[in-house]
Amino acid sequence: MSGYTQQLRQKQREDLDWIFHHISQFSIHGVLVLLGLFCLVPLLLIVSASFTDEMALTRNGYSLLPSEFSTQAYETIFRNPVAILRAYAVTIFVTVAGTVIALSLMSPLAYALSRPDFVLRKPLSFFVFFTMLFNGGIVPYYILMTQVLRVQDTLTALIIPYMVVAFYVLILRTYFAGLPSELIDAARVDGAGEVRIFLSVALPLAKPALAMIALFTALNYWNDWTTALYFIRNADLYPLQYLLYIIQSNAQAMQLQSAAGHISMSDMPTQTARMAMAVLATGPAAIFFLFFQRYLIRGVTLGAFR
Amino acid sequence: MSKISRRSFLKSMGLAAAASGASLSGLTGISRVFGQNKFEGLPKLLYIFPGTPQPDVARVQDALNEYMAERIGAVIELRAVDWGAFDQQIGLINASAEAYDLAFTAPWINNYYNNVTQEYLAPLEDLLPSLAPNYWNSLTSDTWEAARVNGSIYGAINQQIFVKPFGPYIRTDVLDELGLAEAFAAVTQYEDLEDILAEIKTYADRSDTVLEYVTYNLAPLLVEENWGYDPQDSLLAVKSTDESAQVVIYSQTDEFRRAAELIRKWYLAGYAPSDVQTWGEQDSAWSAGLAAVRVSDIVKPGGNAEVQARWGHAVASKAIAEPLLTTGGVVATLNGVSSISAHPEEAVKFLELVNSDPAFYNTLCKGLEGVHWEWADRDQQLIRPAGGAASFGDTGYNPNTDWMFGNVFNAYYTDATQVGAWPETAELNRSARPSPVLGFTFNRAPVETEIASVSAVRQEFADPLGSGVVDVAEGIDRLNRALIDAGIERVRDEMQRQIDAWKSANS
Repeated sequence: MSGYTQQLRQKQREDLDWIFHHISQFSIHGVLVLLGLFCLVPLLLIVSASFTDEMALTRNGYSLLPSEFSTQAYETIFRNPVAILRAYAVTIFVTVAGTVIALSLMSPLAYALSRPDFVLRKPLSFFVFFTMLFNGGIVPYYILMTQVLRVQDTLTALIIPYMVVAFYVLILRTYFAGLPSELIDAARVDGAGEVRIFLSVALPLAKPALAMIALFTALNYWNDWTTALYFIRNADLYPLQYLLYIIQSNAQAMQLQSAAGHISMSDMPTQTARMAMAVLATGPAAIFFLFFQRYLIRGVTLGAFR
Repeated sequence: MSKISRRSFLKSMGLAAAASGASLSGLTGISRVFGQNKFEGLPKLLYIFPGTPQPDVARVQDALNEYMAERIGAVIELRAVDWGAFDQQIGLINASAEAYDLAFTAPWINNYYNNVTQEYLAPLEDLLPSLAPNYWNSLTSDTWEAARVNGSIYGAINQQIFVKPFGPYIRTDVLDELGLAEAFAAVTQYEDLEDILAEIKTYADRSDTVLEYVTYNLAPLLVEENWGYDPQDSLLAVKSTDESAQVVIYSQTDEFRRAAELIRKWYLAGYAPSDVQTWGEQDSAWSAGLAAVRVSDIVKPGGNAEVQARWGHAVASKAIAEPLLTTGGVVATLNGVSSISAHPEEAVKFLELVNSDPAFYNTLCKGLEGVHWEWADRDQQLIRPAGGAASFGDTGYNPNTDWMFGNVFNAYYTDATQVGAWPETAELNRSARPSPVLGFTFNRAPVETEIASVSAVRQEFADPLGSGVVDVAEGIDRLNRALIDAGIERVRDEMQRQIDAWKSANS
C-alpha cells in the first residue's frame, strides 16, 4: 500500500517536473519568438510597403501584406536599369577587392605588432592607435585624396579609405597575441622564416578572426556612400548606396523646386520608392551576413574581443 | 592545410594587386576627357550648380560655347552636382581652394553668407556696372542693396519672384462641388475662411468622399510675412510699416497670438489631422486627394498651374498678405564668382548673358530648339517638348531649374496657363512695399550661442503652437519665458544695434 502511494507520489512529482519543464521551455521560447518578431516584422513591413501602391499606402498605412499590390516603386527605380546594374557591379567590385586588399594589409601589420620581440612594436602601435584618437578632419582628407593622390573619380578612391582600420588592426593584433608562442618557436626550430611562420602558422590559426574582420570590412565597403559623395562625380562609378541616395535626394529636390514644368509629381512614388531602395540596398548584405554568420559567432566567442 | 592557405593567400594578393592596378591605371581620368579643340586657347569657365546631370549636356554646352566664344571670348563647362551632394561637394571645393569660376549660392544651399565670411566669393560691384551693364540696370538699386554684405555685393541676383504674398489654396473641384467659389474669392483675411473650412469639413466627414480632412498643416499661418512682418533671425522681426525699424520678438506680438489662436481653433474643430506629419506624408496625402486646402502658401502669378503640376489637383488661390520686398526674398537665388577664379571678368560677362540675353539663357535652361523643344506659339513665347515627346523630361535635356541660371522673366513658357505670368510677377516685385530693413543682413557672430539656444526653444515651444496641440495663452507664455531665458533679448539688442548702425551708414 505504502509502496503504491510512494510510486504514485513519485509519478506525480515526475508529471509536475515535466509540466514545469515544459512551461519554462515554453516561456523561454515564447520570449525568444517575440524578440525574433521584433527584429523580423520591421523588415517585413519594409518589403511589404515597397510592393504597395503609393496611394494605398497613404490611405491605409503600413501593413504586413500589401493592401494593393504594385511594383510601381521598383519600376521607378529600374527606369534606368543600366545605372542600377552598373552600381551593383561597382559596389561588388569595391567590396571584394577592398576586402581582399584590406585583409592583406591589416593582417601582416597586426601580426608584426603582436610579436613581443618586434623592435618597432611600441612606436608602430602608437602610430596605429593615434589615428583612432585624432584625425586630420575632412578638408585635409579631401585635399590629400584630390590634390596629392589625385584619385577623385576612380574606384581607387572608394577603396582607399577602409584599407586599414585601426580598430580592426587592434582586434587582429590581440588575436595573434593570444596564439601560443610555443607554436612559433617550434616552427622556427623546424627552420621556418618569419614570412613562412606568418603564412603557414599564424594566418591559418587566425581564420575566425580574419573572417570576422573580413565581414566587417565588407560591410563597410558595401554600406559606404559618403566616400562617393566626396570624390565621385562620374555617374558610371556611383556605388549602389550612393546611387539610391541620389535618386532619393533628386526626387525630394524635384518636389521642392519652385518651377515644376511638366513633371506630374502625383505619379512619382516617393514613400514606396524609399522602401524599395532599402530592400535593394540591404537585401544582398543581409544574405551575405547569413552566409558569414557562423564565422562571426565563432570569431566573437573565440576571443577577438578579449 | 598550410599549403592551401598560403596559395590562396598569394592568389588573393595577386588578385588585389591586379585589381588595384587596374583601377589605378585604367580608370583614373576617364571622366576628365573633355577635349574641345575648337575653342583651344579660350579661357574656360567652370560653373558648378545643383541639379541632376542631363544626358545631352555636352550638346547644349557646345551650342553655348559657340555663342559665348564669339561674344565674350570664353567658353563654359557646366557641372551639375546632384542635389544631395551639392552642399558637401561645393563646401569641400571651397575649403580646399579647388579652382572654379561660378557657383550657385543662396542662404538655403551653399550658404551665401558663410561664403562671404570665408572669402570664397569675389566682390562684384565694380565689375557688374561696366561688364554687365544691361543686367546691372535691370534691377533697382534697392534690390542690389539686398545682396550687399559688409559693403560689397558678392552674388548676382537672379530675377524671379522676390515677394511672398502668402494666402490659401483650395482645390477647385471641392469649391465647385460645394458652390463656394464666390465666397472664396471674397476672402480678404484668414478669419474669413472660417465658414468655408466648416463646410469643407462637413463634406469631408461624409462617408462617400475620398476627402478625409480639410487641410494637413496649419503651421504656415504662423509665418511672419502673413502678418506684415519682415522675418529676421531667430523669431525676431521688423514690422513692414515701421520706418524706425524697431526689432520685435515676433512671439510677443498681437499678430502672433492672433495666428496661434486661429490655428488652435481650427485644430480643435478637426480641420487638420491630430498627428503631426512629415512633409513627404503631407505631399502624398495631398496627391491622394485626402485634403482640400493648403492654408497658407505663396500665391503668385502662375502659381495655381504650378501647384497642379506638382501635386495633381486644380486649385484656386487668394493672396492675403501684403507683398513685401525683403532681403531674404531677393537673395533666395544667387550666382557667385569664386574669389580665386582666374577669369572673373569673363565670369561676369557670362552673368550678363544669362540675365539679359533670352536666346542664350533659354538654351541653358531648355536646351536646343528642334532637339529638346519647339515653338508651340512663338508670339506668346510658349514652347513644347520637341518631336512629340510626352514631356520635357523625355527630351534628354531638362534641368528644370530656370530660377537657378538667371532672369526667369526671360524664360519661355512651358505651359499655356503660365503665359503672361512673368510680366505680372515683375510688376508684383516692383509694386511691393520695400521692407524698412531691405538690404540689411544680420551678423550672427556676436550672439552665436544665444541663437543656438533660441533655435532649440523655438522647436520645443513654437512648433506645438504651429500645429495647434497646446493651449494658446499658456503656450505663448511658456514660449516667451523660455525665449528670454535663452537670451533672445541679447540677440534683439545686438540686431537693433546693427540695424541702427546700418541705417545711419546708408542715410
